[in-house]
Amino acid sequence: MTGPFAGIRVLDYCWVGAGALVTKALADHGADVIKIESRTRPDNLRLAPPYRPGTEGLEGSGYFASRNSSKRSFALNMRHPDAPAIARRLAAESSIVTSNFRPGIMERWGLGYADLSAADPSIICLSMPMQGEDGPHRSYVGFGSTIAALSGLVASAGLPGRMPVGTGTHYPDHVPNPGHALVALLAAMFERARTGRGRSIEVSQFESTVNVVGPAIVAYQATGRTEPRRGNRVPDMSPHAVLPTAGEDAWIAVVARDDAEFRAICEVLGITDLAGDARFASLEGRKSNEDELERLLAAATERHDGAELGTALQARGVPASPVRTPGDLLDDPHLAARGFWRRLDHPVMGSIAVNRVPFASPSDDVGPRSAAPLLGEHTREIAESLLGMSAADYQDHVDRGVFE
Amino acid sequence: MGRDGTGPGPHAPPGARPRPLSGIRVIDVAGPFGAYASRLLADLGATVTRIVPPDGDELARETPRVRVADGHASAFAWFVNLDKELVALDLEEPAGRTELLALLGEADLLIESWGADASGSWDRADLAVRFPRLIVVSVTPFGVEGPRHRDAATDLVAFAAGGLLSLGGYPDREPIATLGQAHLAASIFGAAAAIFGLIARDRDGNGRHLDVAAQEVIAAALEDAIPQFDLTGTVRRRAGDTPREAGTGIYPCLDGYVSMVAGRLGTARAWRSLVAWLVEAGAEGAEVLLEDAWDSFPHRQRTQSVTTFATIFGRFAAQHSKADLYSEAQRRDIALAPVNEVGEVLANEQLRARGFFVPVDIPELGRSVLVPGRPYRLSDDGVFEPHVARVESAAVPRSPVRDGTEPTYAGAPAER
Repeated sequence: MTGPFAGIRVLDYCWVGAGALVTKALADHGADVIKIESRTRPDNLRLAPPYRPGTEGLEGSGYFASRNSSKRSFALNMRHPDAPAIARRLAAESSIVTSNFRPGIMERWGLGYADLSAADPSIICLSMPMQGEDGPHRSYVGFGSTIAALSGLVASAGLPGRMPVGTGTHYPDHVPNPGHALVALLAAMFERARTGRGRSIEVSQFESTVNVVGPAIVAYQATGRTEPRRGNRVPDMSPHAVLPTAGEDAWIAVVARDDAEFRAICEVLGITDLAGDARFASLEGRKSNEDELERLLAAATERHDGAELGTALQARGVPASPVRTPGDLLDDPHLAARGFWRRLDHPVMGSIAVNRVPFASPSDDVGPRSAAPLLGEHTREIAESLLGMSAADYQDHVDRGVFE
Repeated sequence: MGRDGTGPGPHAPPGARPRPLSGIRVIDVAGPFGAYASRLLADLGATVTRIVPPDGDELARETPRVRVADGHASAFAWFVNLDKELVALDLEEPAGRTELLALLGEADLLIESWGADASGSWDRADLAVRFPRLIVVSVTPFGVEGPRHRDAATDLVAFAAGGLLSLGGYPDREPIATLGQAHLAASIFGAAAAIFGLIARDRDGNGRHLDVAAQEVIAAALEDAIPQFDLTGTVRRRAGDTPREAGTGIYPCLDGYVSMVAGRLGTARAWRSLVAWLVEAGAEGAEVLLEDAWDSFPHRQRTQSVTTFATIFGRFAAQHSKADLYSEAQRRDIALAPVNEVGEVLANEQLRARGFFVPVDIPELGRSVLVPGRPYRLSDDGVFEPHVARVESAAVPRSPVRDGTEPTYAGAPAER
């Protein structure tokens, strides 16, 4: 292993969503992340599409592959009575243990922070329970989308008079929860390198997500008012809109932060009469006539190619971007120049695009190193090298269903 | 908390240790994409000094804005500046620049959003020569390298450029953003980059430059849309108010909406539990869901199935409040949650029981408000007692000047 985290081993029980992205970040930076799952209980994400046609099955999920790069997989059936002892031996060879199970499960296996830190005070444990380890709702179940609803994020997005829509994704799993967890975990790693002492980190996925609603929570108490859903509009900039461009379902986000930017938008679109229209000369005027303003702008933008229009607006200093689709992003010269996507070879899926952690560190050897592991791909090498098992011993564990 | 960054603070419980980043000094000159990054570092015990122009912090213009006695203030600024020290410096003037350079000489980290404008005194190559141990974290819309690095963006534009906007909203209308998230998302990974820089510096002794682009943070959050296009050529579109499959989506109820996931991935048991609930409750038409076909995930994904289920569940839910649906669904192990408005989040029973929200006095308001607690809990940690940042002085108390080569944490080993 190379990279800045070479020599750091992580015993990883983070499945599915947020947790897997945290340990991907460590693995892409060179940590040896040993992912525990089994054929009896595979990471559910292995069962999720998309699949390349013809490669459906446990080893074919592109979703799983997108967030498990650079990890090793150890197939350990935790329901087998001998499994927890093996897991504890792996924990003893690791300096970080991560999980996102319900409260109590890691403890039942002797993998809780109290047990592990008694043996090794430098151990760092990260747990990511849905609503925390205690409290009346500690056993409640959820997904990123339901946590987004609970936290107030979903209600904040939508059009007036229509159902709220949120991001349309399991957003908390992709940004606030892996992000906050990574911040805390890195801080604990930094501290440990200086003091020799570890920490237990509990990320309540609910509480972590409420933090990204923080400004609205503070504003609500200051004004005593629930803000209505306003689509893409905001009170202090106009236009602040997503407008149609030429082609099917093609859009551009356009913002005028001041009157001069509004005039620049009109000039680029060739509708200078709009710039001279008294109704739209000031922010107050544009806000008062925003439906009409957006209608007139849309009639102009829909005649333009989105990418060309975005470039022309940016040339005038106007914040604007086409609404990029996945295909646009994979082909994007800017992201390519920044090395954001890497193509990795997967034994079942073939070539797959995987993103690096979203911060560039030109001085360091970082980025996805290898494609996501097949289930149990590294069981034997880990059993022999870390647990000191003989080939016969390894086979015995396979035969008895401990490794499966 | 220990605002000098040296200890767990005056009200720390027994056993509390210095916070993980205690002793770390951060200079924050970031814009809205980077301002929450140093807030997260302050939460972890770093001493954060935010430099603001004499005419006020640019963050005061950010939404959501609220009316205060002498005009408007920004709830965003209050929230992201908690526990920072604000220092007014005019960086247009030589004296201000000299003062900032002096501060950087004592700092471990600089969080900035200058992007392509980092010239003159702030040229990153010059800074690296002058302060070889300084870690510089740029948090900008598009990064500081690459053909579009000079492009301008607001929160909405970064959300569009990163692609998440393409997945939000109603199929019959323009895409709809979840506003404010590009700013905070970029900052969260800005904080991660900053601490990564600290770890790497302890290993090799060198500062470095870390480049965080909001566009990339958002593009990393597209769920299955990237592999879907990569493996199948299919472009995922926004589904908005249409559930993705029977049992998964947002549904109206008596007093609002609920969000549910039942039947996806490994939750086949939750689907059966949901059907049992509807049948037991006598929901009109629920018996049809007992037919074998409904056990099949592909069947539940068909448009007709989505509609049939939405009709049955909708009639049932229209008679029940989101609170009742929440507790009964959870009793049955079904991942259903209310679509809460902000006021309901503040009243949430679980958050109250865990003492999550903490009061912060806001002088501009003349009263206190509750703010979310830290986004994680650490063992042996101090109490969270945040303070609103105010411009307290134009000069900063100085610690003895370091020579730029010693670890900042006296007496501790640099390596584990």
